[in-house]
Amino acid sequence: MEQKQKSETPVKRGRREFLTMAGVAAAGTGVLAGAGSAQAAEELSKDKGQGYQETAHVRTYYELAKF
Amino acid sequence: MHAANVPVEADFDEIRAGLYALIARLLSGPLDAQFVDHMCQLEGDTSALGLALNKLAALAKSPPPDNFADEYAPLFYGQGQGGEILPFASYYLTGQLYDAPLAAIRDDMLKLGIQPTGSVKEPEDHIAFLLDMMHGLITGRFAAGAVGVPDQQGFYARHIEPWASEVFSDLKKADSADFYVAVADLGLAFMEIESEAFKLAA
Repeated sequence: MEQKQKSETPVKRGRREFLTMAGVAAAGTGVLAGAGSAQAAEELSKDKGQGYQETAHVRTYYELAKF
Repeated sequence: MHAANVPVEADFDEIRAGLYALIARLLSGPLDAQFVDHMCQLEGDTSALGLALNKLAALAKSPPPDNFADEYAPLFYGQGQGGEILPFASYYLTGQLYDAPLAAIRDDMLKLGIQPTGSVKEPEDHIAFLLDMMHGLITGRFAAGAVGVPDQQGFYARHIEPWASEVFSDLKKADSADFYVAVADLGLAFMEIESEAFKLAA
């Protein structure tokens, strides 16, 4: 009865395709290319299993925003 | 590096969060050398978003000695009355600062377990604050943890979508030099993308 899986997949794909077409995918490299160690920092935080997914780079933006 | 494959959802969330954080930082105050240095790495494709990122990176590669502070101050601080742009939801939606939209935002912040750090004097309906909150909701920086796309959409639709593009349009029309015109273009492009993408998710 539940068609949840089936109905979610095309929606998510549509959204991803739109975001790709709109330039969000291509922006990723630059936006997330941290000061060297963004990827490593991300892997580290995932390993800790806290669901805390900020990359070093994103966090740098955040900290500089000072909010 | 080429984006040959369509990234998975989690990757997009990370990029979207990064874009929110980036635009938040650009609008939250004058830049410094470290941040301008980060910006040199920005790149994009030929989309409106990508072109704005490329433009910002190009400008960041040969920054003026004051890191564009000269452009920020008259726009956002101004002479006495608070600059040309008053990027607060209350001001844009009701014409008054500290009005009902700010109360609605504080209400949602309570529910989401978001507390301001108190390091800025501006009320929480400042555009940079709200964009930064979107970053936190996507990444799970706040007590409530990461929220899914429907809750992101709710926050965006209630607090950002009704007025953010207007701020970016005003920023573009203001007597801005190149740098904040590019910031405005980035903001306009990204808000348009988010509005459309949320519709696809609904």
